[in-house]
Amino acid sequence: MILTKAKKHVTYTIQGIDTHDDAMKNFLFSLGCHAGQSITIISNFGANMVVNINDARYSIDSELAKAIIV
Amino acid sequence: MRIALAGNPNSGKTTLFNALTGSIEHVGNWPGVTVARKEGYVKKQLNTNQNIRIVDLPGTYSMSPFTSEERITKDYVQSEQPDVIINIIDASNLSRSLFFTTQLLSLGVPVVIALNKWDLIAKKAIDIDLVHLSKDLNCPIIEVSALRQKGLKTLLDTCIERKGTIQKPVFTERTDANLNKEEWLIEENERSSFVAQLVKHVEKRSIDSHQMNFNDQIDRIVAHPFFGIPIFVVILYGVFSISQATLGPFLADYFVGWIDLFYAIVADLMGNQVSPFLQALVLDGVIGGVGAIVGFLPLIMVLFFMLALLEDSGYMARVALIMDPYLKKVGLSGRSIIPMVISTGCAIPGIMSTRTIRDERQRRTTAMLTSFMPCGAKLPVIALFAGVFFQDAAWVGTLMYFMGILIIFFGAIVIRKINGDTSKASYFIMELPEYRIPSLKRAFIAMISQGKQFVIKAVTIILLSNILVQIMQTFSWNLQLVEEGAEASSILASIATPIALILVPLGFGVWQLAAAAITGFIAKENVVGTLAVVFGITNFIDVEALEVVSGTGEISSIMGITTIAALAYLVFNLFTPPCFAAIGAMNAELDSKKWLLGAIGFQLGMGYTLAYFIYQIGTLITTGQFGHGLFLGFLIVSFYIGSIVYLIKRNDQSQMTLQGA
Repeated sequence: MILTKAKKHVTYTIQGIDTHDDAMKNFLFSLGCHAGQSITIISNFGANMVVNINDARYSIDSELAKAIIV
Repeated sequence: MRIALAGNPNSGKTTLFNALTGSIEHVGNWPGVTVARKEGYVKKQLNTNQNIRIVDLPGTYSMSPFTSEERITKDYVQSEQPDVIINIIDASNLSRSLFFTTQLLSLGVPVVIALNKWDLIAKKAIDIDLVHLSKDLNCPIIEVSALRQKGLKTLLDTCIERKGTIQKPVFTERTDANLNKEEWLIEENERSSFVAQLVKHVEKRSIDSHQMNFNDQIDRIVAHPFFGIPIFVVILYGVFSISQATLGPFLADYFVGWIDLFYAIVADLMGNQVSPFLQALVLDGVIGGVGAIVGFLPLIMVLFFMLALLEDSGYMARVALIMDPYLKKVGLSGRSIIPMVISTGCAIPGIMSTRTIRDERQRRTTAMLTSFMPCGAKLPVIALFAGVFFQDAAWVGTLMYFMGILIIFFGAIVIRKINGDTSKASYFIMELPEYRIPSLKRAFIAMISQGKQFVIKAVTIILLSNILVQIMQTFSWNLQLVEEGAEASSILASIATPIALILVPLGFGVWQLAAAAITGFIAKENVVGTLAVVFGITNFIDVEALEVVSGTGEISSIMGITTIAALAYLVFNLFTPPCFAAIGAMNAELDSKKWLLGAIGFQLGMGYTLAYFIYQIGTLITTGQFGHGLFLGFLIVSFYIGSIVYLIKRNDQSQMTLQGA
């Protein structure tokens, strides 16, 4: 499922990144946001959410969250 | 020897750079503060008996050969061949940092790892086996605290030792140059697993980072979609009211007292022996003109102090988060808010900070519009007009900030309509740094550094402008002293008068005001300086004292314009192009003559149009009839609006042709 449908405070394993934007995909990769890594939603504000990836906190918007498949 | 600093954004590179070199480069607690390379020599206190040059590279998470921004580090290392690379790692985020480290290790240049924020990891219950890690990476690891200046000497000594050695790569013998994109992706995947394995071995975390922590609790309120905005407004209001309504003016009052004292002493010294021209030049041109601006120094320094505290706290990244949904609606990014907040101090670093915005159109639009936020140099102008025409009303300043924000939103919509929405899905992602209690010391250093720049500007560019203005208004074209009552024959008047004609529809077609507006393009403070010189007024802050000095009752009557026209003049000065230096910064960031011309045209037109409507409509309301030059102004404003509409229509048509094809 896409990350926007995921539950808060549950650690998921990323299945893949569904985007045509290669630059973004590479960027996410360098942060450690790619298939096999774990991701947790810390807070969900609707238009954006705070996630934990690779021991760091990021805020991402729902557009990006929709591209993350868990 | 030369050392390059490389590492992830917000890992503390610039803090380390400042600690090593004794510089006072701009630092902040959000990713992407350093946008250009900075260089400096290691300071003497660290006595290394060597001449060491340090280069601070912009932060990056990886060195992909396929994107330009991530190539900077690699290009630098390959073309400049530094002797050693210091890789700064945030100790609390080992797993992400090491990804970049393994890439650095494959460049052949000896690497020394500076494990920064080492003092923080005990609190987070993280344990790192440094001996093991150092062995696995084939490079020394030094624990440092850039903030507390610890471990710096050891770090440099290690670098000196490593100079001349060849770095063994840890992960791969292949070189990126021979890889195509797919091979590279495979390699990066292997790299990522390698790092994951390594971290598993050397790092023990007693607290799972996936759990809520104290920071997250704060974020739940501060970054909340409903509470976040009011909190932001209250914080900004606090910053501006302290700097501009309470503490700032309080300090300025004392300061102006000293300047007045100085003026009196110099006047006394010169007595009657000095020629009236020289007397006027020194007293009104130099002391008066520069003093009128320097008097505002306390306001500006307090403002910079508050902004530095704000940047240091980690709050800026949250502002970007809460503003993102709104900024997205007008075609900007949440990151656009950071340049805007910085621009309230100075537009130049504000414009430069747009470089962290990934999407080109969003980046250019932000660079083009961010200077509409009133900056520190515009404060004297606002304060002057609020004081003289509006009895120091606080609403004048507040209104100007809100107008700035509204113009930015409006401008963003217009630019999107002219350009078409070229951005693909524009994703927003930003690392949220941990909050920390802002350091008073660092804010103080930032304030002193900015204050110094302000004073330097005042005694160079502004002083020079004032002297020129003073000379130009004292002499006529045939180099005769202008006689009293014949001021209009001066060089300055004859240059400014034709321009004043265009300004008649805005309510201030007086040559003195036109001259001040022109010098304002050199530096905004010049508006105040020039007004001080051309009207012979020296004290703008203490208006009551001024009435006594001028003897005519009010400065408003000296200037000879109505209150409505004064508001129009203020708006014109604030919302036309800020200054040459900011235009230069815009030129660098926009990187397109077309965009730059568009930006300048848009800003000139915006200032003119707003001033026109304020003056004409305001005059209609207050006197029952329109002001002067209604028709001329109408032509100019129509041309401006017409051009924008034409550009939008042209874009619509090209869109339609595209769709039709």
